[in-house]
Amino acid sequence: MSEYKFIGKPINRIDEKDKVTGAAKYVDDINFGPNLLYAEIVESPYAHAKILSIDTSEAEKVPGVVKVVTGKDFPYKFGLYMKDRYIFAQDRVRFIGEQVAAVIARDPKTAKKAAKLVKVEYEPLPAVFDPLEAIKEDAPIIHPELASYPHVPWYYPHGGTNIAHWRKVRKGDVEKGFAEADFILEDTYRIPRYAHCCMETHIAVGFVDYNGRLTIWASSQSPHTQRHLIAEALRPLGFTEQNIREIVPYVGGGFGGKAGVTMEIIAAALATTVKGHPVKVRWRRDQEFYNTYMRQQVITKLKVGVKKDGRITALERTDYWDAGPYVEYGANVVNAATLSATGPYNIPNIKMDGLCIYTNFPAAGPYRGFGYSEIMFSIESHMTRIAKALGMSPREFRKINGIKEGDPLAYGAPMNENGLIECIDKVADAIKLEEKEESKDPKKAIGKGIAALWKAPAMPPNVTCSAFLKFNEDGSINILLSGMEIGQGLLTVMAQIAAEILSVPPEKIRVELPDTDRNPYHWQTVASHSTWLLGNAVKRAALDAREKIFDVVHRALNYEKDHLYLEDEKVKCTTDPDFELPLKDFVINGIMMEDGTYRGQAIVGSGSIMVEFASALQDPETSQGGHPNVHYTVGAGGVVLEIDKETGRVHILKLAEAIDVGKALNPETLKGQLIGGAVQGIATALYEDMRIDENGKILNPNFTDYKIPTSLDIPDEFIPIFVEVPQHDGPFGARGMAEHVMIPVAPAIANAVEDAVGVRVKAMPITAEKIALALLHGKKEVDDFFMAPTKKKEA
Amino acid sequence: MGQSSYRRIKMEKKTITFILNGEKRTIEVEPNDILLEVLRTKLGITAPKYGCGRGDCGTCTVLLDGKSVRSCLILAVEVDGHEITTLEGLSKDKLTPLQESFIEHNSFQCGFCAPGMIMTATELLKKNPHPTEEEVKEAISGNLCRCTGYVSIIEAILDASKKY
Amino acid sequence: MIIAHEFEYFKPSSIDEAIKLLNKYGAKARILSGGTDLVVRIKDGFETPDAVIDIKGLDELKVLDFKDNKLIVGTLTTFNELIDSEVVKEKFPLLWESAKSVASMGIRNRATMVGNICSAVPSLDSGPALLLYEATVVVKGKDGERRIPIEEWFLGPRKTALKEGELVEYIEIPLAQKKHAGCYVKLGRYNGEDLAQVGVGVLVLSGNEYRVAFCAVGPKPTRAKKIESLLNGKELSDSLIEEAKKLVEEEISPITDIRATKEYRMHMAKVMLDRALKAAVERLNGKGPDYGTKLI
Repeated sequence: MSEYKFIGKPINRIDEKDKVTGAAKYVDDINFGPNLLYAEIVESPYAHAKILSIDTSEAEKVPGVVKVVTGKDFPYKFGLYMKDRYIFAQDRVRFIGEQVAAVIARDPKTAKKAAKLVKVEYEPLPAVFDPLEAIKEDAPIIHPELASYPHVPWYYPHGGTNIAHWRKVRKGDVEKGFAEADFILEDTYRIPRYAHCCMETHIAVGFVDYNGRLTIWASSQSPHTQRHLIAEALRPLGFTEQNIREIVPYVGGGFGGKAGVTMEIIAAALATTVKGHPVKVRWRRDQEFYNTYMRQQVITKLKVGVKKDGRITALERTDYWDAGPYVEYGANVVNAATLSATGPYNIPNIKMDGLCIYTNFPAAGPYRGFGYSEIMFSIESHMTRIAKALGMSPREFRKINGIKEGDPLAYGAPMNENGLIECIDKVADAIKLEEKEESKDPKKAIGKGIAALWKAPAMPPNVTCSAFLKFNEDGSINILLSGMEIGQGLLTVMAQIAAEILSVPPEKIRVELPDTDRNPYHWQTVASHSTWLLGNAVKRAALDAREKIFDVVHRALNYEKDHLYLEDEKVKCTTDPDFELPLKDFVINGIMMEDGTYRGQAIVGSGSIMVEFASALQDPETSQGGHPNVHYTVGAGGVVLEIDKETGRVHILKLAEAIDVGKALNPETLKGQLIGGAVQGIATALYEDMRIDENGKILNPNFTDYKIPTSLDIPDEFIPIFVEVPQHDGPFGARGMAEHVMIPVAPAIANAVEDAVGVRVKAMPITAEKIALALLHGKKEVDDFFMAPTKKKEA
Repeated sequence: MGQSSYRRIKMEKKTITFILNGEKRTIEVEPNDILLEVLRTKLGITAPKYGCGRGDCGTCTVLLDGKSVRSCLILAVEVDGHEITTLEGLSKDKLTPLQESFIEHNSFQCGFCAPGMIMTATELLKKNPHPTEEEVKEAISGNLCRCTGYVSIIEAILDASKKY
Repeated sequence: MIIAHEFEYFKPSSIDEAIKLLNKYGAKARILSGGTDLVVRIKDGFETPDAVIDIKGLDELKVLDFKDNKLIVGTLTTFNELIDSEVVKEKFPLLWESAKSVASMGIRNRATMVGNICSAVPSLDSGPALLLYEATVVVKGKDGERRIPIEEWFLGPRKTALKEGELVEYIEIPLAQKKHAGCYVKLGRYNGEDLAQVGVGVLVLSGNEYRVAFCAVGPKPTRAKKIESLLNGKELSDSLIEEAKKLVEEEISPITDIRATKEYRMHMAKVMLDRALKAAVERLNGKGPDYGTKLI
């Protein structure tokens, strides 16, 4: 069959009507009944301090307060890849806003009032914020017991320092490579922190019933992983995965911020202290900024050597990542990004160091792109600068070095099939990269820039996911899985995959949101891997069901299974064109034989898959060996922008992006993701501007002063391009793209700004202010960095 | 009702009556109750959402006497004698042409901004049945969306306006 | 986000009743109109009133009228009502353009211009227009009515000439008798709703009379009298504008905060003055960009 019926078609989202009618329920919309209790958190005002005492007596006396909880009630650590994080601060606090205690009350106002009465005595300690300061000899050590923390084997913490993880990649001989180079560009780039800004803030409700079973409702990307981490943390209280259940309804945006566990564990822990009562912890918007995850800050020192003909001979980089005080998830961002920090290029001599550094800023962790947006800003800025220096088109330079299928990656494994060159060409063509455009307005200048992108899912080597599938009397299907619908269209694409195999249209397929009691295991909805891996699990479940369908028909009606196929919700036969048996007639009821007996079964299918070729076993000093990344998705992005030279304001006329998705399962949802992700990328480049003061306090934890784009701030024109070089092991050839669409945008903008007005901005964000003042003073390079004051202040 | 031991004021509950999605409702509220929270916790309404609490994001948008407002910035007592419409009110019987258009265009992704966005767009098309693209963008500029990049939302509104 | 702070709520049905309440609670009273400023500040803990006095029941304050060559903007007139008014758009276009720049539709359906000037935040968008139109604020207290020229209204950040126990009834804006045109340019960090980092208002009247005002670049919005003296009586020219731009440095005192540096604000104030003057003169001559067009 060459033409698909549902795959590759712009099928309507199966969750759209829920969302447009108001039927869609998120955690805070669930009615938890009259026993619901509310928690208010007591938070640290210091970035680094010892906790000397906590007096909860006044708070406990307030009528309506049910319980007051502090760290001594939960002296347990947790963490996804390393156990360095606490449910409540123990002997010390490590960032402003860290949870120290909680008041549980019958109504939120009482909880809020009583929380103010909890008296905590602190002894401030010297804090450190700048990652370069944090690795100096005399820096205050944020985790004195780092060496004793359990962690995954591919983390390399340096006990006694603030270096939580150090990923080293060594290939070839960089000294020799630089010696061979005709031109070398060396520079430093600075990327500040960014916030996810999901429209729905984090929220979790925990409930322990009188039998001791814990149920958690959370706005989460990872119900099974959350259940597992919470079970691990609360094991001393007798919890295991068996007596914890996590339920996740619709989620109002994730972007990586709702992966892993952050505040959800608070609700779980509090619930254990008030059996029979659900406890709700709903984050305010400011808490969403300072006490969840953020995207990490990174300072990159990058040196690249090239020959005159454009071939890169050597790349050396050191990335200093400010990951906050808890890196149980964030250190993997450093890990994954460093392994791929060459960008999608075939480079013979490489030396890369990624240091994940503890600081006393709020905790940072996974964010759409998982470190790739951060590392690609420097690479892709560098690429265009070098191209310019060589007098070459930025397109040509990238194509010369672009990595092809089979080429060795930085850590030795081979690159997968990919359409990188096609993407670069299509984007450069779409914006007519090599044609200079003049603005009609003499005050303005037009510039063009491109950037390549790549990313691989950053996952442990044993990631697995599964799906159950069942039929109903009307021939409709329920698919149970634990992938999350965070907006990306997961439910619809999974329905399409099953639809294609079972010939049941997507409108007759429901995909059920996760409940760990009923829906089978899925690691996390992160890494842009669900289309690929969960899609395969759903495909297997559908094939399993189909096999049973054919088996029933075969046993009842004697048709050869090889001759049977499904079309229009009926079983048909290639050798008997008149035969057609509607699925709904027998998927529950079976087929009656002449003698009145039946053949059949309620048709169910299951599918499960684990990656069996990935390995994190690598040389700790060089990262050679292993196969840590299953495959890469590649692409490119380009912008045409217009800058007002007096005001510095940037207006994007055109934004083109090409992604090699292997197979575009649903062009409509893909387009939605591309545009949304591109706008998020634009936001990091032009508008989002996190400010933290010298004490470690976020100064703009709200939308008044942390600007995410409105409808008035989007480009005039989007050009989404989907390239299809099939992923050999993807469902129908598909691979993921959800994070990737953000990655090329910021560097493409930086390149276009330089093209327009000759100003190279090396420290994000690229604000109108930086451009205007650079033009005013005739500066060609800008590295003004405002996120936090650079001088250290004693606490 | 609350008696603060350090202050001489006595916050008294107020009984308010207002029309919610076409039905007359009467409830008791305290002066410092926020309309959004009262709708969500006492009146069974879940469409308008908490997104920021400061009127910056628009997810709490409802119609007050037909005009879009941020319910997180309104005290519940203020709506006594007035009329509130939420997304639930639009969905009671047939969907509006605007809602049908959003569904056709697959406008929303995570859906959290949808209720507020739809109420704002409803007011827009009532006031200005044939807006230009610029006017649509301006009208919804107070409703933040992090997922879609707005294109599919704008297209749906313009498409719906052809039916008015 | 909930409010734990407790207060009493009143909804007076007459201005006199409102004034009695204001006098009873004095400094611990707050007037509630649109609430888009007050409710946020109570939530953030910056306001802790004992009494919140909702004046939306006072019909006398729901006025938007043009008579005897004066625009009367009642206390309860929202920004959207100003924008929807034909007479405001036609006869007071600078006010119309300023109103359009405020926040977003859902906020403008509640926020009032009187509330804006009572908050007296240095970045208030209605400041320049009212200064340039030389408006008068009419207030009432227990001793009767007072008329306060707008020049005397703003005393500092969040400080006005309104006394305890007083309530604004309306703003009176005279229509200039000469032909005139204006321009309000607002600097935000992007095109979406933002508080002004710099606001420049210009009114140009036939016969080469110029009025210029700034907001967000000093503790209160102010007329730029030196620039006005420089320009008055002269035809606008590039060199004249350059001189005016130099004088900006003597007229404003911007600060650096998380929104913008003082250097950028100073630079932009000059750029915006340039564009506002040119646009206003073009509009006076029947050309120029439509009111509401963003010039930066």
